[in-house]
Parts: sequence; C-alpha cells; structure tokens
Amino acid sequence: MNKKKERRFFIFVCTAPALILLSLFILVPTVEVFRMSLYKWGGFSNNQVFVGLENFRKLWNDLNFFRSLQNSILLIVVVTLFTMVLSVLFATLLSREKLKGNNFFRIIFYIPNILSIVVIAGIFSAVYDPSTGLLNNLLAVFKLESLQKMWLGDQKIAIYSIGGALVWQAVGYYMVMYMSSMASIPESFYEASSLEGAGRITQFFSITLPLIWNNIRTTLTFFIISTINLSFLLVQAMTGGGPDGSTEVFLSYMYKQAYTNSSYGYGMAIGVVIFLFSFALSAIISQVTKREVLEY
Amino acid sequence: MKKKLLMAGSIVLLSLGLMACSNDNAKVDSKNVKTSSEQQTLHVAALESAYGKDMWTKVVDAYEAANPKVKVELTVDKNLEEVISPNMKAGNYPDVVLLGTGRKLALPETMIKDNALEDITSVLDKKVYGEDAKVKDKLIPGFTDTLVTNPYNNGKTYLAPMFYSPTGLFYNAGLLKEKGWEVPTTWDEMWALGDKAKAEGIALFTYPTTGYFDAFFYSLLFEVGGPDFYNKAMRFEDGIWETPEATKVFEIVGKLAKYTEKTTVANGNDKDFTKNQQLILDNKALFMPNGTWVVGEMKDAPRADGFEWGMTALPAIEKGGDRYAFTFFEQMWVPSAAKNKDGAKDFLTYVYSDEAAAIFAEAGAIQPIEGISSKLTGDNKLFYSIYDNGAKAGMGGFAATDAVEGVSMADTLFGTVNSIVSGDKTVKDWQKAVEKVSDQLRPALK
Repeated sequence: MNKKKERRFFIFVCTAPALILLSLFILVPTVEVFRMSLYKWGGFSNNQVFVGLENFRKLWNDLNFFRSLQNSILLIVVVTLFTMVLSVLFATLLSREKLKGNNFFRIIFYIPNILSIVVIAGIFSAVYDPSTGLLNNLLAVFKLESLQKMWLGDQKIAIYSIGGALVWQAVGYYMVMYMSSMASIPESFYEASSLEGAGRITQFFSITLPLIWNNIRTTLTFFIISTINLSFLLVQAMTGGGPDGSTEVFLSYMYKQAYTNSSYGYGMAIGVVIFLFSFALSAIISQVTKREVLEY
Repeated sequence: MKKKLLMAGSIVLLSLGLMACSNDNAKVDSKNVKTSSEQQTLHVAALESAYGKDMWTKVVDAYEAANPKVKVELTVDKNLEEVISPNMKAGNYPDVVLLGTGRKLALPETMIKDNALEDITSVLDKKVYGEDAKVKDKLIPGFTDTLVTNPYNNGKTYLAPMFYSPTGLFYNAGLLKEKGWEVPTTWDEMWALGDKAKAEGIALFTYPTTGYFDAFFYSLLFEVGGPDFYNKAMRFEDGIWETPEATKVFEIVGKLAKYTEKTTVANGNDKDFTKNQQLILDNKALFMPNGTWVVGEMKDAPRADGFEWGMTALPAIEKGGDRYAFTFFEQMWVPSAAKNKDGAKDFLTYVYSDEAAAIFAEAGAIQPIEGISSKLTGDNKLFYSIYDNGAKAGMGGFAATDAVEGVSMADTLFGTVNSIVSGDKTVKDWQKAVEKVSDQLRPALK
C-alpha cells in the first residue's frame, strides 16, 4: 500500500512541471481567447466592456471576414492537393526508382523547408515581379507573352500565387515523411507482385498507397494546421493582404482587426471561429479517411 | 524517500521561480519611481523613420547634458509598436513616445480610442526647456488646431506636432526640362501631359502604396470644397461623400487610375513599394504622391541621367483655383499610464528648443517652429518653399471614433484605389462604399 502511494506520488512529481507549464501557457491563454471574444476592448486600456455574443453577430454580417474565410479554405484545399500529389510522386520516384543523384535531390527538395518564411517571401516576390521577375521572363523566353501576368497584382490570381509559394516550401517536408514510411514496406511485396505481372502503377496503387495510408492521414491534419499558420506569415510578408484585401486570409484578418482596427475583442471572436473551424475540419477529415490499418 | 522529497521540492521551486519572474520586474520598477526625487529616469520611445536613429541619440545626450538630474532610457526602432506594445500590455509604459498616426498598426489611434493619452495642453504654456519663449509662441500657428493634435475636438491637445513635411507630387524635374514639358497647374493640363507622355511610353502616375493616398485625398478635398467641406468630410457628416464635390474627387482619382503605370498594383505593398518609387527614378512614370522623406529613402537607388527631384502641389480643379500641398507631421504623446509624466512634459518642451531642432534638422527632420524654413539647405529648401510659391497648406485627418468592428475608413477610401486601377471595382461602387463606412462611423464619433 505504502509502495503504491509512493509510486503515485513519484508519477505526480514527474508530471507536475509539464502539467503546470501546459496549463499556464496553453490552457489559460486558450480560455482567455474565448473569454475576450465576449468583450469590446481596444487592447490597452482597462476599459473592457462585456458585450455577450455581439462580436459574433457582427462577424456574421462581415463580408470581409467571409472573403478571408473563402481565401483560407481555397488555400487549404489547393495547397493540400498539390503538395500531397507532388510529394507522394517525388517520394515514390526517389525511393522506388534507382535514380542518379538520389540523395542530392532529397536535399534540394528539403531545402525550402529550412528557409524562414520571410526569405521565401523575398524569393517569391522576386520570382513574381511583373517586369524583372523570373516567371514572366521565362514565359517570354518560350514566346508565351500572352500568359504573362501581374502575379501579385491581379486580384483573381494573387491568392494562387501565394498558394504556389506555400506548395514550393512544403513539398520537401512531406516528401521526406512519405519516404520514411515507404522505406518500411518490405521489398518482397514488390518482388512478389512483379512476378505476378504487376506494373509500376499497379504496384503504387495496390501496395505503396494502402501501406502508407495511415501516414497520409496524419499529414492531412498537418496540412490544415500548417497552411492556416504559414499562409498568414506569407501574406503578411508578401502582400499585406492586398491588393484591396484580395489575399487576406482569416488569421491576417484577425490580426488586422485585433491590432490595427483597435478591436481586440472582435479579433478574439475571429480567433474562436478559426479555432473551432480547424478543430472541426481536422476531425471530419480524420473520420472520412479512416481505413482499416494494414499490418505487415 | 527523503531524496525524492528533496527532488520534488526543487521542481516545485523551479516552477514557482518561472512564475515569479514577472513579479521581480514590478519590484524593480517601483524602486525606480521611489528614487525619482533625486535622479529621474525618463523612458523615451521613438520611431526610427527615414531620418535615421542617430539624431535621437544626439538629442537625448544633449538633454541629459542640459538636465543632469534626468537619465534617459531610449528605445528607437523601425517597428516601434511591436517593441513597446508587449511591455505596455504588461503595464510598463514609456513616458513619452514619438509615433505618428496613420501607420498600419495604428497604436496612437488605439490609444485615442481608449482615452489612454495624457492631456498635454499645459505643455503649450510652458517655457521651452532652457529658453525663455513659451512652446505655443515658438510653434507655427495652426499645428495645434487640427483633429490630429486635438482628436476629441474639445480644444484640448493630446498629441504634440513633430517633424513636418509638405507632401505633394514628386517628379523628375530633369526629365520635364529635357522634354520641354511644363509642370501642370490644373487637372486638365495634367491629363494633356498624360497623353503626351503616353506617346513616349511613359506613364503619368504611380503610387508607392495606397496608404500614400491619405494626403493626396485630403488635398483634393480641400481643393474641391475648401476647408469647411474638408472638415465636414473628416467628421463623417451625413451624405457628404455623395455631394457633387466628393463625386468630382472620386472622378479625378478614377481618371488618374487609367493613367497609372501598370505594375503599380503588383508592387503596391509594404515590401515592394520602393519598386514603384523607382519608376520615377527610371523615368517610367512622371508623378507620385509622396513626402520629403522619399529623398532620403531612395538616396542609394540608381537613377536616370540628369535626375533631379521636383515637387509640386496638386493641380487645381480649374484655372486659378486653390492648389494644396498637404502638411504631414508626426506626433509625440504621453500615455496616461506613464510613470514619469512631469519628466515627459519637460522633455516635450525641450524638443522645440533651438538646440534640439538643429540636431533634428541636420538629419532632415524639420520641427514646426517659426523661422525654421529660412535655415534649410539643399533639396529641403526647395520642398519647404512650396508654400511660399502659392500652395496652400492643409492639415488634420479623420476625427477619432470608438472602434467599429470590421469597419475601416482607410481600407475603404484608400485601399480600394488598387481595385480601381486594376478595374475590379467601379468608381460608383467605391463612392457608395465610402458613404456607407462614413454612416457606420458617425454614431461612434468621440
């Protein structure tokens, strides 16, 4: 009995620091966001006025918020789709095919991931520059002048230009993740299937994809979270939400309201919506993609 | 068991230590205040703008030499809001801050909305530190009668005017001379010049970002309807944005959008705006709205042969009409929660002394004090003489309101210019949207 007590005490002592830090730096601020969303407050003074759900009512009628929500969802869908397809493709090529300079490509693909987002914004501002940029000049070399665009100036395509930069920086990271789970698939599966006449594409869809499915599911949650976060940083550094709000994503809109429009409480209300949205989306995706885990 | 208890104790102590850090800071601060009777500490925070950082170090050194009782702690940063805001939220306010309104993070605006600024009307009646003249006698008249310095429009001053700069249209005087073109004095002449320039592959107009349209718009409002109309617009009077005068303003900007250089929108953000300014240096565009700081900002940039900065007031609506060059100025203010407000007010008088003004002027920052324009040299002499050459000065900005969630006059009135240039919105829709925002802000007026 005494031993059991001692054991419990030991476990408590070991976990206490982590629990204290967790509640202090994660739980308390999260609860605080929810509490502040019910107040009207500029952010500095002691003048906090309780307004109930008024902030959420205003949010419901705020067209600019819905535009930023639209942009965020668009980015989550487009970036996830392109990044996943490209990184699975590259991972398969690099782990299944005997290519020259395998390791070299692995490093090259991974490099964007270690760059800070501000550097990436700098690189892509240079790539997208209308007159001296790489993209428009490349199109000119191939005599495709008609395709030249104001990549960050045209409101219809600016958000896709942001998406392009996000895909570029994410591909390497997910590629390495998929490669690691592909490496654990036994070679004998491929040998057996090729004896039975399966080609590379059949092998990919019948062996590789099912066996890394669990990994893909996990990364889907990562895609949602990282697109929400990184799109904010990239938009802040590259376009500031412009031209005329066309690249505003919901985190940048929240920041704008909380810090530049003196509406901190309103900003927190947006924060609550984003919090619930990302939780719900992750849960739904996780449910929808649930498959029986294949063991081997 | 003893050992385990000891370990548990030490862990708990460590965690508590973490939490206690903030308390320690508070203690240190209260000590500072106690000793203030002998040796005062004054925390000055200033924005590092195009004028550079050195002038602040020099002014603070000079102040400490003149007033040995004061020890100044100086914070100068390009992103001043981000440096001082976290401390302010924790209750540690700087005593005096140089940071103007109209910046993206809108810190002074937030302080105004929250009634968190100290009334500094009394400073105007104080003597300038180390001199016999009163502050109000040294200031150029008009500067403390604006909605910027008296945001609540109640005759009390909350923000002190600092470094002023005429704004207007900047251009390459060398290019105009070479081509034999006259600087346009009316908008009709402007459009005619635009067509001539177009034939040579030069755009008439560009702008760094839409944020630069504030002074431009204010000047246009003055030209079109005079000071009375301008003040009504700034106080969101009902229907003011739908009057024929306002319609004229929107039409002029709408027409100007057609003459705007085509890459302007793509580079019109905080990161790439210098590329738009470069268009003037490269003779790819003729005019841009800007302030005198642009000369310092672009001093290392490559430029066309024979380049020479020129600046003009906005063209008049019709021949013989008023021409305005809006006066932009930064502000210095004292947070109500500052610990050493008296020290802050003394320092506020010092920044208008001849000694301080000379140090600022050396870096190109011109204080709004009487007789300063006669002491200027170089490009500045030309720029500040714009008012001697017939241009009228406009000052002020939108009246302060309580925060209205999701509504921003700056975004709607200035930010939309990008959509007008790119053709995504029509001038009519823009005008309607501005009137709607004005309707939403009116009930929130302070």
